[in-house]
Amino acid sequence: MLPENLTAIVARNEIWTGESATEPYEAGWAKEAIVFVRALKPPKGKLPKARIEISADGMHWAPEGSEFDLPEAENAVTFQRVAHFGNFLRVAASLPAGAEITVLVSMHFKA
Amino acid sequence: MTSPNSQLDDMRRAIREADPQLSRFDPLPRIICLDDFDRGMCGWTQLVGNYEHSLDAMLPGYAQHSHAMLSTLPNWDFGSHGGVDGSYALKIATRPKTGAQNVAIKRLTFRKAGPIRLETYFTFKPEATELQLSETDIRSFGFLYDLQVGDQHGTGGNRVMPHLRFLNAENGVHLQKWQFKRETTPIKPIGTAGKTMTHYHLAPTDWEDLPGGEQRLCYNEIPTKVNWHYLRFDFDLATMQATRFQVNDRVFDMSTYDCIRIPAMKNLWCMLNIGFFAETDTDKRAFAYLDSVCLSGDF
Repeated sequence: MLPENLTAIVARNEIWTGESATEPYEAGWAKEAIVFVRALKPPKGKLPKARIEISADGMHWAPEGSEFDLPEAENAVTFQRVAHFGNFLRVAASLPAGAEITVLVSMHFKA
Repeated sequence: MTSPNSQLDDMRRAIREADPQLSRFDPLPRIICLDDFDRGMCGWTQLVGNYEHSLDAMLPGYAQHSHAMLSTLPNWDFGSHGGVDGSYALKIATRPKTGAQNVAIKRLTFRKAGPIRLETYFTFKPEATELQLSETDIRSFGFLYDLQVGDQHGTGGNRVMPHLRFLNAENGVHLQKWQFKRETTPIKPIGTAGKTMTHYHLAPTDWEDLPGGEQRLCYNEIPTKVNWHYLRFDFDLATMQATRFQVNDRVFDMSTYDCIRIPAMKNLWCMLNIGFFAETDTDKRAFAYLDSVCLSGDF
């Protein structure tokens, strides 16, 4: 049987400013994930790195260690590969004053 | 002497009752789908709102929706809860904002306008962010069909949207009653091509109490425990009327029940969509879980 494989859109047309993160996504069944971030509009200001965060319960989060660029132009895409993340996964970013990005975030999981 | 049809019914029933997975359900003769989320998402997906040219055109009610998850019902204090059987259930999670909703949907069409039966084992609970029972933190759990007659129906055909929700609590008051609705929001055109329109049928307005629909469901003493409930809803696609609604040991009187009914749309013939939804009453995520869903028909 083919392994389970899922594309989940976890943020769609969401405007990120300040402390921002995707909603907790539970995917303990998956061995690996790729997280894609696409800018739906031209971003504003100086963008920070985004970080992958993991959690046992969806409430208490720890940085997984991976950091990656946010897309700097409309429709540009960045991504991060993640493995061995346990249960809950999210993308978080701390945007400085004046920075803003409208994101489409998808997570692609494989068992 | 028993008739061949009766013998067939007996044989079908015997085979189903010998199968532990099917024996938990009481399906009509033809099983359209038996979704056990130990096999993945089984075609349940996110209900995305209509839009044209820009996602900004999407109504806020739909824009808040996110993707369902395959969940073991993990809890910080005792770990994974699991399903009725197997490890996984489908999880529908709202955002942590009062009144937030989320929906999971499966999109089908029907091949005979006859009786259909929806059965599921469900439960719901708030995110366990506090060490207290939080039994009034979920506003509602519910389900809906989005149906439309076939293209040969002729004039006067409708798009019909049966809705039922368990209003668990509102503004912190534990109400525990089933409700239905027959009104949606005004239909609004979207964009400029004249092809797209929208309405928010899950708006908080126009819910009506189902007479006799008060029901105390089983819930546990701490915010991490759940118990699974059985739900069955019978509907006739020929008459577009509900015929039976059962939750656990209760069968409700549906004589005053009705659905949202709007004129048929030009692109939705024979539509048979099913949705389940959750809504929160506090700034805390509401979680609805489906262990399994069985949709069957008489054809």
